[in-house]
Amino acid sequence: MILPEADELLAPVMAIDGFRLGCLIDGSTGMVLASLGSQNGPASPTAAAGAADVINVLNLLNGRLATGEHLEDVMVTFSDSFFMVRPVRRDQRPPILLLVIMDRQRTNLAMAHRSIRDFCASFTS
Amino acid sequence: MSQVTRRTRVRRLADSVWPGRAVDGYANLIAARLRKLAAAESTGMLPVSGRGDGAIFFRRGQVVYAESSRTPSPDKRTVGLAALGLVPEDDAREAAVGAPTAGAQLLPLPSLRQLTSMLALTEPTIDAITELLSNESRYAKFRQSDLPPVAQMGPIPVEMALAEVERRRQVLRQLAPIVAADTPVVRDAARESPSFQVSAPQWALLIRVGDGTTPRALAMSLGQSVFGTMIEIYRLLALGLLAVPGHPSVPGHPSVPGHPSALGGRLDRPGGGRRPGTVMSFMRAVADAGGGDERGSDA
Repeated sequence: MILPEADELLAPVMAIDGFRLGCLIDGSTGMVLASLGSQNGPASPTAAAGAADVINVLNLLNGRLATGEHLEDVMVTFSDSFFMVRPVRRDQRPPILLLVIMDRQRTNLAMAHRSIRDFCASFTS
Repeated sequence: MSQVTRRTRVRRLADSVWPGRAVDGYANLIAARLRKLAAAESTGMLPVSGRGDGAIFFRRGQVVYAESSRTPSPDKRTVGLAALGLVPEDDAREAAVGAPTAGAQLLPLPSLRQLTSMLALTEPTIDAITELLSNESRYAKFRQSDLPPVAQMGPIPVEMALAEVERRRQVLRQLAPIVAADTPVVRDAARESPSFQVSAPQWALLIRVGDGTTPRALAMSLGQSVFGTMIEIYRLLALGLLAVPGHPSVPGHPSVPGHPSALGGRLDRPGGGRRPGTVMSFMRAVADAGGGDERGSDA
């Protein structure tokens, strides 16, 4: 993470049951700004890069479809974990993405979704 | 007299400092120099010259600022941690003159604005270091105690900065078959789809693209990072809204070995403009940079 001072920003998402890793990512460059996770958790550079790629592809799709919609968040389900990626704020420049990886067995997905949405909304401008 | 040439000795030195990496010209020598400055906890400025001039500033062995004549600099009127409200004014003053102080800790970051402000200071520095660590660059004598021309950002460990630079270089390698920082691009009037949806930054680029404008020139005019601008340009190329003109079509089928699109690099269209044949991948760049195996190290 390139802004180590910003790690503490992620403290609230650690409270999510089953939390494994949280990252703030500059979506325009793929740079990891801050990350917080357990010692044995996923590697943040790879996870963050994958999250930025997913958002990039979906933005390309959105650009092609030209429906006038905007991307709110992305949820990915693996056999053991959930990945959730959400732009911290719509129309934020540069776009900052929040990635949270959670243990599938210990996470209530609906509650986690709500927590992540509230966390993003809690950022004051 | 030694039988080993000076060039060989230099390359061996680079190998010893950056084990496991292929020697990549002078860029690795600069990286080795940065690591030595970090180990010595140096404070001062390392001038770098080559395709463009620039400098990397250190404070107690960590990078606090860098600039290059080939990348935009942060706005000197507005940057500075105190201006951003990130440190108390007294601490900022001490930080600006490089005086060690126990109180110069960053305050907690309560808002998105402050986070993006920190990024606005950091991105130009990483962008400049990426440019300065090119193969054509050379470093000069380190100048102790020379201070940045602006109040610096939060310090970045050298290893972290080098890892990010290496990741960016891998991304740029992916883009290289299609577009480089100095490749002219034009709006593609021959696009087939009736409508597109672009982001505000992409729109800002589209309306500024003239005949033969380069990503670097666009970045300079907008005051944005060259790296970030190149990625947006690449996305506009992928959408077919921009094209790289003047490149003749490559004959042969994509399955022919050596054909660029067979290598995942590009697709040439009958009109001659190059467009991406694959989607640029940050994850592939991380893997190529060797950054994907640091499991849990940054937790």
